[in-house]
Amino acid sequence: MNHRFLLVPVAALVIAAPVQATVYLSVEQAQALMFPGATLAPVPITLTAEQVKSVERASDVNVLSPQVKAWRSPTGGWFIADQVVGKHEFIPFALAIDEHGAVKSVEILEYREAYGDQVRNEAWRAQFVGKTHASPLKLNDDIKNISGATLSSRHMTDGVKRLLAIYELVLAHTNG
Amino acid sequence: MSLSLPTPTVERARPLLGTTVVIRVEGEDDPAHVHAAISDAFAAIAHVHQTMSFHEPTSDLSRLHRAPVGTRVGVSEGTLAVLREALALADMTDGVFDVTVGAQLVRRGLLPTPKESCAPDASATWRDIELLDDGVRLHRSMWIDLGGIAKGYAVDQAAMALRAAGMAHACVDAGGDLRTIGQGPHRIAIDSGLPADHIAVIELGEAAVATSTGRAFDYQGAHLDGRTGLDCVRDQCASVVSARCIHADALTKVALALGEASAPFLRHYGATAHLQDGTGRWTVLGELPS
Repeated sequence: MNHRFLLVPVAALVIAAPVQATVYLSVEQAQALMFPGATLAPVPITLTAEQVKSVERASDVNVLSPQVKAWRSPTGGWFIADQVVGKHEFIPFALAIDEHGAVKSVEILEYREAYGDQVRNEAWRAQFVGKTHASPLKLNDDIKNISGATLSSRHMTDGVKRLLAIYELVLAHTNG
Repeated sequence: MSLSLPTPTVERARPLLGTTVVIRVEGEDDPAHVHAAISDAFAAIAHVHQTMSFHEPTSDLSRLHRAPVGTRVGVSEGTLAVLREALALADMTDGVFDVTVGAQLVRRGLLPTPKESCAPDASATWRDIELLDDGVRLHRSMWIDLGGIAKGYAVDQAAMALRAAGMAHACVDAGGDLRTIGQGPHRIAIDSGLPADHIAVIELGEAAVATSTGRAFDYQGAHLDGRTGLDCVRDQCASVVSARCIHADALTKVALALGEASAPFLRHYGATAHLQDGTGRWTVLGELPS
């Protein structure tokens, strides 16, 4: 396969911001994609201390906030916007649940950890400080992908587990 | 048309295949059409996840692991296609690439013990897998792990879905196993896990790149030589460029296991490996990039 292999001096790379953020979808865009054509009604919920405890017991995952940003579809499905703690940053995501309580889809809304450990590492990043002069390559601009930066989705799996427990214990019994 | 207009980009991410899969489409004007294409591509990956997962109790693999030795188990077309590629590579490399290492990875705590399945026979190898027209028969009890090849296949399937929807410039990235659509040039940085004053960047047109390294593992790694059952050298990194991601993905493991001796296998697939050793030095193996 034709390609070029380049070794680029780290000093020639520029990172515009210390942490790269990629916004994939707004909450509204995610709603339109996950429940096409449906008008979703917001059903804001605040979990009681008791409910927080039972959700944590049922899911074995910590509840970050008692506020649940939930919307209900006319057919009885739910859209929930939440976030999980990634390796270093919060990762907002959206979960769509169908009227039977099954996962329809999960979309990551924003990612602030687009680069691999090597690039995330502070000491490694410190090499870029002050190096904002004209540069041949910009990370996230000229170089949009990193190969080898396998990002675990474990935290995302936990986040979905937590929301399913909230659905079972609270939302399924809510009259929106 | 002005060339200075920014290209519209649609990018989405979903947690799949145990990693974060990112799909990006550039230069298309109809966002609804692009979103539909990306949803199709994610669905193709989700299908691979459901059928070839070691963890999911309803996957083809879990059903194979539960079935009594010698019975025919019906599997999806995709699972058959991946097993066919895996066995061809196992045959060619005399078992260096062997998808029956599941039991060893379970012992190392890298995979969970399959529920309700038969205990694996220590003498089982890839030669005990028989592929039928519409199913699979195992001649010894074993645990198959497609973790070294199925991700690449999933990326290929997603790229095909995007292409079928008419997307002309795109990238499917499953945590380092990625495939580009369109002549680009696409630039991909390699995170080899080794701090260095230079960073490797691969610049390519339409192709696949996969990267594997044992550096993330502290003690026992996930990469074993199928012939010996012994660990590959952990302090190295292999990036393979190939037309199809299924080949790039699988060949990273062959390059890690065999080093320079992997060259003929790489050439067979028209692939190139860039192998970095513990000192940070890169070597090119297989088809030479022009």
